[in-house]
Amino acid sequence: MIRLGTLFWLVLVSATGFAMFGVKYQVQALEDELARTRRATMAEEHEIRVLDAEWAYLTRPETLDTMNRRFVSLAPISTKQLHVTVADIPMRPAPPPPLPILAPVETAMAAAEPTPAPNALPETAEGAPTHTLSQPAPVQGTSEPPSTRSALRAMPALLEKPAAAQLAKVVPAKAVARPSPSRRAKSLDDLIAQIMTNR
Amino acid sequence: MTIGASFVNDNPCRPRHFKPPPCAPVVPAGPAWKALEACRTRLFFTSVLFACVFAAVALRVVEIVLLAGGTAQSHMPRFRIPLPPTPARADIVDYNGRLLATTLDSPSVYANPKQILDPADATRKLLKAFPNLNADEVYIKLTSGKSFVYIKRRLTPREQYEVNQLGVPGVQFQHEERRVYPDGALTAHVVGYTGIDNAGFAGIERGLDDTLTNRRDPLQLSLDLRIQYVLREELQRVIDDFTAKGAAGLIMDVNTGEVLSMVSLPDFDPNHPGASDPEHPGISLADRMFNRNTLGVYELGSIFKIFTVAMALDYGTSTLASTYDASHGINIGRFTIGDYHGKHRVLSVPEILMYSSNIGAAKMAMAAGGQRQREFLARLGLLKTPKIEVSEIGAPHFPGKWREVNVMTIAFGHGISVSPLSFASAAAALVNGGVLRPATLVKLPPGYAPPGQQVISPKTSEQMRKLMRLVVEHGTGTMAAAPGYVVGGKTGTADKVSGRHYAEKKLLSSFVGVFPINDPKYLVLTMVDEPHPNKQSHGYATAGWTVAPATSRIVQRIAPLLGVQPVDESSPEIQKALMVESLQGRRVENY
Repeated sequence: MIRLGTLFWLVLVSATGFAMFGVKYQVQALEDELARTRRATMAEEHEIRVLDAEWAYLTRPETLDTMNRRFVSLAPISTKQLHVTVADIPMRPAPPPPLPILAPVETAMAAAEPTPAPNALPETAEGAPTHTLSQPAPVQGTSEPPSTRSALRAMPALLEKPAAAQLAKVVPAKAVARPSPSRRAKSLDDLIAQIMTNR
Repeated sequence: MTIGASFVNDNPCRPRHFKPPPCAPVVPAGPAWKALEACRTRLFFTSVLFACVFAAVALRVVEIVLLAGGTAQSHMPRFRIPLPPTPARADIVDYNGRLLATTLDSPSVYANPKQILDPADATRKLLKAFPNLNADEVYIKLTSGKSFVYIKRRLTPREQYEVNQLGVPGVQFQHEERRVYPDGALTAHVVGYTGIDNAGFAGIERGLDDTLTNRRDPLQLSLDLRIQYVLREELQRVIDDFTAKGAAGLIMDVNTGEVLSMVSLPDFDPNHPGASDPEHPGISLADRMFNRNTLGVYELGSIFKIFTVAMALDYGTSTLASTYDASHGINIGRFTIGDYHGKHRVLSVPEILMYSSNIGAAKMAMAAGGQRQREFLARLGLLKTPKIEVSEIGAPHFPGKWREVNVMTIAFGHGISVSPLSFASAAAALVNGGVLRPATLVKLPPGYAPPGQQVISPKTSEQMRKLMRLVVEHGTGTMAAAPGYVVGGKTGTADKVSGRHYAEKKLLSSFVGVFPINDPKYLVLTMVDEPHPNKQSHGYATAGWTVAPATSRIVQRIAPLLGVQPVDESSPEIQKALMVESLQGRRVENY
């Protein structure tokens, strides 16, 4: 009845039609997305500009000066404080060799009490845990998994608890098993770096 | 269905000439008629189908437009993809990248009263967003029958959000931009300000208007906000301590010409340039807007003696060992040139600078001659209008005819008016090895020094450094000493001209300091207008008691910020580097 050729062409035409409409809708969807993204970007850019201006306003030297007088009373560096240059400061002496007998005990103890070491000394000896014989570092916030605690919240804790300020000499950074060691500040510099990235 | 078949030829009343119009073929009942009938049925079903589809479409339209509310909007932007925003006026940032001026969207809110259905309700709602507006005024505006009235111009982002939340029909936003200066008055004279259409009106905003409108990256200045703050604070302290009229200060990198800080007091808030200062209502707006560093030209007085000495040494008309008799004043015409605190004896060249002897300086200049003096000052760029990026620049005043009396007075800085900016550039050239570089407020690439012009020999420059150190060690500028930073400088106290005469009681005290003078890096020029003596200064308002101590404080505060390492001033190397040979072995009398 209908010739095979006609059928073929009909199928082809409808297939092309469908394909064309499909592509068209895809393009429209993409254009929508592009427009949305552009508008969002513009809004974000504007937001950033506002925040930049606000940051500049809130950190005016005048404001910082007033806040300094109220809270920390820092003074300009005097000449006396600058007599010694960074180059003049001697390097840290090499750590004492590890005591082989005590090492496992220390390791076990440290592992049992996970101790935050926001300002622990930078790792000196790779592999072998270094330690001295003073008391273990104070324990704080053990109930909270360390990974959830951001560096920003670690900061006030550091300031409030003077015990934490006694440098966690004991903690062999390598020996303590930590779920996410990268989130923990190993030194003040790391802490600052973390704050910067979190910000 | 038989009608068609019967009536064509059977009408007896048909006029003869009338032929029936062609019509659908009359099909007698039979198989053909059956086929037609089937066709009609099919047509009927097809039309029902189409009707259903159209009804579906219509229902969908009703749903989208009336029922589904906001979701319809997501289909709208298909036809207009927003372009990237047109570049706003470029930001201005300081040497460390801190924001000094930026452009923020600041829409104005306007109303179309013709579209407002309930003005009373709209007024009430708008007042909730802007409590400061006057309710009556807003109501009058909304009932005015115009089609455009501003409710409030230049909203903050928060206000915009609140108006959006109100959802009053007929109230809309007009896109506008606004220049914001987060640091306010601190950088007012340098950065300047813009008008309501964001065209530069003053400062960098005007001087580099084209650059700022045509670029997207921030423009980085050589200005350092921290140093600017220190300078402004110390100058304000001088004004307060000595109840002065105003003050100006300038800090320059002597090796590149970059201006790190430029403060002129009193100043204004560029965010509200026309507003009066609530703390000092008595000071006129013109005075606050006036940039004393670039637009003001002053007879700077004794600090000009460094040029007289440099000229004499560079031309070889004097050496460090030359002596001039300063025991008596010079009478010329109706003037008498005398010394402020005269030693009344023969002075050597270093002593003339140390004790700031007008007589000695005048005699040195006379020995060199007016021709050389004029040529030398022109070489240092003091006789032409300086160039810098701000729009307010003052031209120097100097005598057209360089007579003998002019030579003498110019030798100690009277009878010639230059802007502090010109002076700083020239003074930097005296100490940096003799190269004059144009002053700039735009940050240069690190390590790059723009090509300069050798104006004095490196040897003269070295001698000038030693002499300027001597002024701070033993001369008039001892209070400018900042331990560890080896300050060298020169004081200047000028009587201000009022009308055609010099007013004895109105002073302009200035100090030019360079540190560390053994390896010059930064120049600090400070100037205070009409200081009055106080108890602490033992009745003095001269430069040595006003701006010299301020310079000491400024240097001690900014040197750590600039990374200048303090040295032991009594160490043999420094002593040797700054030793003046002609004074060697002699006891130096303190001022």
